[in-house]
Amino acid sequence: MAMTLSQKRQTFSVVRYAILTVWLCIVAFPMFWMVGTSFKPDREWFSWPPVYITENPTLRNYAIVWANINEYTKADGAHIDPKTGELSQYTQSLQRPWTALRNSSIIAGLATTLAVFFGSILAYGVSRHQILSEGRMFQLLMLRMVPPIVLIAPISLWYRQIGLLDTITGLVILYFLTSLPYAVWMSKSFIDEVPREMEQAAEILGASRWRTIWEVVLPLVRSGLVATFLFILILTWSEYLLALLLSKADVLTLPVELSKYQGSTEGRVYGRQAALSVGITIPLVFVGLIIRKHLARGFSFGMVRR
Amino acid sequence: MTAENTLERNIPESGRAASRARGIKRFKWTVLTPFLLLMAFILVPALFGQGFFSLFQFSIFSMGDESGWRSYWHASEWVGLELFIEVFRDERFGAAIIRSLLFATGSTLGCFIFGFGLALLMYRPFRGQGLYYIFFILPMLTVPIVIAYTGEMILYQNGPLNDILSRISGMEIKAQFLYKKEIALTTIMFLEIWNWTPFSFIIMMAGLAALPKEPQEAASILGASKWRIFWEIQLPLLRPVIMLALILRFLEAMAEFPKTWGLLQGGPGSATETVPVYIFITTWQYFDISYGAALSYVVLVMMVAIVLTGIYFLQREKKNLDAMYFAKPQESK
Repeated sequence: MAMTLSQKRQTFSVVRYAILTVWLCIVAFPMFWMVGTSFKPDREWFSWPPVYITENPTLRNYAIVWANINEYTKADGAHIDPKTGELSQYTQSLQRPWTALRNSSIIAGLATTLAVFFGSILAYGVSRHQILSEGRMFQLLMLRMVPPIVLIAPISLWYRQIGLLDTITGLVILYFLTSLPYAVWMSKSFIDEVPREMEQAAEILGASRWRTIWEVVLPLVRSGLVATFLFILILTWSEYLLALLLSKADVLTLPVELSKYQGSTEGRVYGRQAALSVGITIPLVFVGLIIRKHLARGFSFGMVRR
Repeated sequence: MTAENTLERNIPESGRAASRARGIKRFKWTVLTPFLLLMAFILVPALFGQGFFSLFQFSIFSMGDESGWRSYWHASEWVGLELFIEVFRDERFGAAIIRSLLFATGSTLGCFIFGFGLALLMYRPFRGQGLYYIFFILPMLTVPIVIAYTGEMILYQNGPLNDILSRISGMEIKAQFLYKKEIALTTIMFLEIWNWTPFSFIIMMAGLAALPKEPQEAASILGASKWRIFWEIQLPLLRPVIMLALILRFLEAMAEFPKTWGLLQGGPGSATETVPVYIFITTWQYFDISYGAALSYVVLVMMVAIVLTGIYFLQREKKNLDAMYFAKPQESK
């Protein structure tokens, strides 16, 4: 039996909501599980059947991870070593998440600021005066796309020679270089959209090129530059490989800090990992939602037109 | 603007145009010099060091007490191209390349299919569109290493995924998603797909939203079916965006490290040992810096070739697109 047009539309609508909701569950479940686990007492981390929503929510994981509060009793459901009857070691936190948070903020913030600052000036030059050809602009992407693992060993030896190993500067330089391509491309896409009349007016009035950039062009694309900044911040904040290999003890970043829990031999401490993970993820989710309309632009190299 | 340009083109020798060109040149080098110096300062020594270690067998254990360059020199022994020959004979390396390619291809296609499918369902406005959009981009905003560890909490033997599967199927399922050789790589691939489907999704959403409406309307007035409009109008117009989603994702997936390393360190056995993981293990676990350097050089050349190919295709698409959008070609120099 043929369906009328409105029936067809209705079926489509129902099917669409069904599919989207299934995907919503797939997306949301890991998030839900991460947040849920961070509030679970120790005995519920591994229980079978798994505990979906804990009946004994606790802030202890957060207290141990973020506030270094180590008092812990059997009544709280701590793991007890069966032989000695003592609390097992991994109920204690030996980590320094606040230091890692500070390092992550400084490194990601500095590298991103530099990349956007430098990238937007370069983008101005490309947009207005073609100081780089399109071919060169695409070649710039190599900085991002060639996997850093292939050069990281000699870089780390070189860094050791010149005293940049395990320093904030060392990581900032590399993050700056690897995020520059996206910074240039994304800020160029904003600068391209700004009409040139104002610059020409400024030029006629006798403003120098740099003054035109500072006082006319960059202010006009301010919101675009903020979007670029936040976009690059997402990339630098989550970087793992370089941070793992170029820092030893002094400049641990949050992703590396988190991986130390996994490396511990005492077994898995899901609740603590989850409590730390939530702390790492929340800032990024905020940042991402602020710039959600611009996310596509960051990756699209001027290939998505409006 | 146009008037000014024509003027300049007509009188190229005019003092004003020449000084303007000089000014632009000066500006260009003022901007580029610091960047090029910084690159040279980091990359040249790195490439040189990589070359040295791949031609001289270096042993970290025979390093003396001297500091600085000399210690490396004295702990190294000339071996010529031996290490490179070894790399090409290395079966473990070959297997790692195959794994990397499989992983990258699988996750790229997975991301693309899910992302494009969702975008097709969602690009026209409907109730709740904004809310779904916000949720759907969340995975991309999660730090990869967090995804790896959260993935483990969900996938391990007594984890919720096995429980949910058991409840749905009515049988007791206790699959070891991560610690079984046959499926470990596929599992990581699905984590990667979960992580990066939003990437294809947002790109395809933006691409679909930017499509010109007129050709579609014209076709539908002429009586073309939805399918035909999709295949013959929308899809060809989307080609640049599709290429973009596929190429970028493939390149990033080739370099994937946090999930494969953070979660399984290449194990079980060597089931998830992709190229980056193999280089990592050689250099930082076996401390075989020389063999690692030779491996890295080969991978570097390989990846540069792959990236350049990808860039070539992207550039071609961009050029076609520009030609299509600007009937009058823009001022190019």
